[in-house]
Amino acid sequence: MNQPNRIDGGQIDRATTLKFQFNERWLTAHPGDTLASALLANGVRLVGRSFKYHRPRGIFSAGSEEPNALVQLHKGAALEPNTRATTVEVFDGLYATSQNHRGSLEYDFLAVNDLLSPFLSAGFYYKTFMWPRAFWEKIYEPVIRSAAGLGRLSGKPDPDAYDHGYLHCDVLIIGAGPAGLTAALAAGRAGLRVILADEDFRMGGRLNAETQVVGDMEGAAWAQAAVGELTSMNNVRLMTRTTVYGAYDHGTYGALERMTDHLSDSGDKPRQVLWRVYSKRAILCAGATERSIAFGNNDRPGVMLAGAVRAYVNRFGVAPGRRVAVLTNNNDGLRTVDDLRAKGIEVSAVIDARKGDYLVNTTGRKGLKSVHLNNGRRIEADCLAVSGGWSPNVHLSSHHRGRPIWRDDIAAFVPGGELPPGMIVAGAANGTLTLASILKEAHETAQRIATDLGKSGPTGEPPKASDEDFATAPIWHINKGKQRAWVDLQNDVTTKDVTQSHREGFRSVEHLKRYTTLGMATDQGKTSNMLGLAVMAEASGKTIPETGTTIFRPPYSPVPIGAFAGRARGKDFRPTRRTPSHDWASENGASFVETGAWLRAEWYARPGERGWRDSVDREVKATRTGVGICDVTTLGKIDIQGRDTAEFLNKIYANAFLKLPVGKVRYGLMLREDGTVYDDGTTARLSETHFVMTTTTANAVLVFRNLEFARQCLWPDLDVHLISTTDAWAQFSVAGPKSRALMQKAVDDLDLSNEAFPFMACAACTVFGGTPARLFRISFSGELAYEIAVPARYGDAMIRAMMAAGEEFNLTPYGTEALGVMRIEKGHVAGNELNGQTDARMIGLGKMISRNKDFIGAALLDRPEQTRDDGLQLVGLRPIDANVNLTAGAHFLNPGDPADMAHDQGWMTSVAYSPELGCSIGLGFLKRGSERHGETLRSFSPIRAQDVMVEVCSPHHIDPEGERQRG
Amino acid sequence: MADISLVPAPVLGGFQQTFATCSLAERIDIALISIAIPRQGKDALTQGISARWALDMPGATKMTQANGLRAIPLTADQFLLAFTPENERTEASVQADLEGIGYTTVQTDAWVILELSGKGSIAALERICPLDLDLEVFPNESASRTVMDHLGVLIARLADDRFWLMSARSSAASFLHAVDTSCRWSAI
Repeated sequence: MNQPNRIDGGQIDRATTLKFQFNERWLTAHPGDTLASALLANGVRLVGRSFKYHRPRGIFSAGSEEPNALVQLHKGAALEPNTRATTVEVFDGLYATSQNHRGSLEYDFLAVNDLLSPFLSAGFYYKTFMWPRAFWEKIYEPVIRSAAGLGRLSGKPDPDAYDHGYLHCDVLIIGAGPAGLTAALAAGRAGLRVILADEDFRMGGRLNAETQVVGDMEGAAWAQAAVGELTSMNNVRLMTRTTVYGAYDHGTYGALERMTDHLSDSGDKPRQVLWRVYSKRAILCAGATERSIAFGNNDRPGVMLAGAVRAYVNRFGVAPGRRVAVLTNNNDGLRTVDDLRAKGIEVSAVIDARKGDYLVNTTGRKGLKSVHLNNGRRIEADCLAVSGGWSPNVHLSSHHRGRPIWRDDIAAFVPGGELPPGMIVAGAANGTLTLASILKEAHETAQRIATDLGKSGPTGEPPKASDEDFATAPIWHINKGKQRAWVDLQNDVTTKDVTQSHREGFRSVEHLKRYTTLGMATDQGKTSNMLGLAVMAEASGKTIPETGTTIFRPPYSPVPIGAFAGRARGKDFRPTRRTPSHDWASENGASFVETGAWLRAEWYARPGERGWRDSVDREVKATRTGVGICDVTTLGKIDIQGRDTAEFLNKIYANAFLKLPVGKVRYGLMLREDGTVYDDGTTARLSETHFVMTTTTANAVLVFRNLEFARQCLWPDLDVHLISTTDAWAQFSVAGPKSRALMQKAVDDLDLSNEAFPFMACAACTVFGGTPARLFRISFSGELAYEIAVPARYGDAMIRAMMAAGEEFNLTPYGTEALGVMRIEKGHVAGNELNGQTDARMIGLGKMISRNKDFIGAALLDRPEQTRDDGLQLVGLRPIDANVNLTAGAHFLNPGDPADMAHDQGWMTSVAYSPELGCSIGLGFLKRGSERHGETLRSFSPIRAQDVMVEVCSPHHIDPEGERQRG
Repeated sequence: MADISLVPAPVLGGFQQTFATCSLAERIDIALISIAIPRQGKDALTQGISARWALDMPGATKMTQANGLRAIPLTADQFLLAFTPENERTEASVQADLEGIGYTTVQTDAWVILELSGKGSIAALERICPLDLDLEVFPNESASRTVMDHLGVLIARLADDRFWLMSARSSAASFLHAVDTSCRWSAI
């Protein structure tokens, strides 16, 4: 369990040894290691197989740009595929496996694909698998799907927790490398509220990987000192392990913080938090990403970016190889030679492409063994450090579609076009690639922002450093051999694929990307896009800026879907509302139904009942013959007060309300501006200036909003004030012929005789010895009924008290299903009928509309469609065969007519089994319906394959004269 | 029915919980009355509450308090009066005091009030509250409407690390779950 490639130095804690598994093999590491550095330290170079050809692949980079070293973490439901080994912190017990191979990693059966590579070039799947057609879905698709992809999902629910959060700051600094730290120091000292976020677990960026000096300290030490100073500032928030993945509107940024991914035990805390960061300004200090040079067989394990080699040597104390060759087109790459030699690592060759030297091939099936130069020399090397120059990480700067612009001097794109409002780019991300210039630019940027935001505190001086030589020659690929040269390691895209794409006419960069898959998947082409562009430019005879660049969109690096969902999953997907009698209902066998956010009792099962129909039939019968109780708290309740409230309601409702007496309730019909029914309900007048409106459950919020609009915008001169009291009152409907006797027991000192408290009366009262209440004599069931409301805190006690008081009357609780049955029996309309297409005439309430006043909907009430002679009207329906259950949604046809829309007579809106009538009944809209009572029609439902005969009747299946409710 | 009387029950059963760095408790002792300002009656109401209780009108996001009464802004022409009912001061007596100068509605049962306190309060709120709670932006005695975990919330800051979180009574269980989760998950 030793670490053969571990060398001196680095920013790891050697005092602690961690154990982890890779492909079932126990290995060791130290705190501060990534999985990639730990694997290299243990001499593991082969870590995965390539996407298409299943070629052996190793570790290519040292950061989130990694295209190669994708592994699976954890087991079972927690299995996470396609994770970059270069960003995973090692912890005790970490379990990782390689992916994308059939058989072992070393002997992958699908490596045969590499032999078939001449047939698997870019877009091959668009040209093959065409015939025979019968194979498309039965053979081709299953086989391709099986072979495609990288890692595998567990197929089980993610057991980890995720959360969301909101942060606010004056300035968000994205990236904590030399630029980010310098900007944060200046901004923090000036007194700005600063958030400094970095995707790494150690702040410092390239300073941790290089040997440069800042001030009089090593860069890494200066970075830690800067972090120390920032930590002491209350106005600065440091966020490591946090990727700012997207720039959104109005200075808002998305950031993913990995909270417990690096711990053996999450401690029941969320794994990751998705932050929404609100900033006044943002400084993008995201640095730059090194790119490769394409040459023959440049994808072998051991071929790495030169900057990554320096990172493993200097930061992690790991030798990526014992004989390292260096290939570069710039002076920065040459620093690798010095750093390697300083650690005693042999540099077997230095190949400077600017001098005409280049590589044509490599050898080593499962790990690099040698490199072949154009002069015929073969040099032994187990690691090749490649530097093709640096590309600024412009991604977030173009999230608002700002197109990057080309700079010849660094052979790279820099931020251009319109940046997200409030964003300024500094440091390497801005194309400033030398340290002293980076520090100066970042410091001045922060100073400027501080001044803009009115903070004049001292910012100090930028730290001193020297500007290193970074001269770069635009050498992108070496096209001198027959070997395939890889551009995009993650998607197995070669230079040949790019040129072929061009030859086949895919000349837009966007087409190139989609045809070849260049730059897709987890790394989004961070190390390959420029290379691909360069090859494309050469093929088209254009310059790179003429060729263009693809646009960047969020996320910068992958964000788990679970993080987007946050805690909103399973039963916590959305909030629920409970009625005051919820607990009592639960105790008494209630089954609950979601009505919007409300949980309402739909029926109460009793022992011996065979199903919901038994329960519902029992509840209906008990209510119609005795007394039932139902929690109707969910109905919207709006307290309306003011001197002009009666006038206001008279404008809101289509029927008259101006003269509603105090102590009375009236049914009201609310229309939209186009005359369509909007909502219905009752409104009670408690005093000259005080009314209480009830709305349907579904429309409570909409009606309140509509009233506010009317109050504030249509009639602002009226003295009217609204407040919702839906939650304030627990309200119960008590219905049935024995309801009066029961209510007389519950209500204190109020005469409930029909003369003293008639239908549609209301009063403030007390119940059960002094609890304040409101009593309304209204009925939805069609029975003698009351609605009694008490302050919600008494709701639970109220239902229990009512049940106790009602025992002698066999008081029966009923749910929404029984409620629905009784309203259909009575012919009361509900959501099925008030579906946004119906007007007052259709539901038989045309005569209720007052023509002597103005109200919402009056102007368009008499449109031709609404006054036509053959208009739809509400009717009742009963099956000719009493054993037939009717079907909602069925259409009506005259007997003998064909079943097509030309002969459509209307449709069934609601159906129920009526225990009182002993058959199925329905409500529906029928052309000239009120004139057709007694006719026989076909009720035709092709969806449910039902074609039955029904008789048209009054919608009031029971008590059409209303004697029960008025009795 | 002399043998039956109704006993009020707090919607969350008087929930109280102490976490690592903060505490969460249902306030069951607070009465709430909304007071709407009659059209062209702001001066009269302002003078009325000043004369009766020495209470100032609240600002758009600024609470006022005096003599055990706290005025919490609700809308442009409406605020909540929060107080602890005592022998001399009940919902009815407060309403009677305001007769003729403001429209009142008892709101005690419309809301659940969670009091969040302790140094970890801000960290907990960061997980659900989209508002900027920096003391310079949202100082003590501030109140604002917002949304937390899909639920409408009125947040009031009583001290640096003490808040009332007021939401609809019917969804109190969901609201408690949201705040409780934030307290647990944000504790370090």
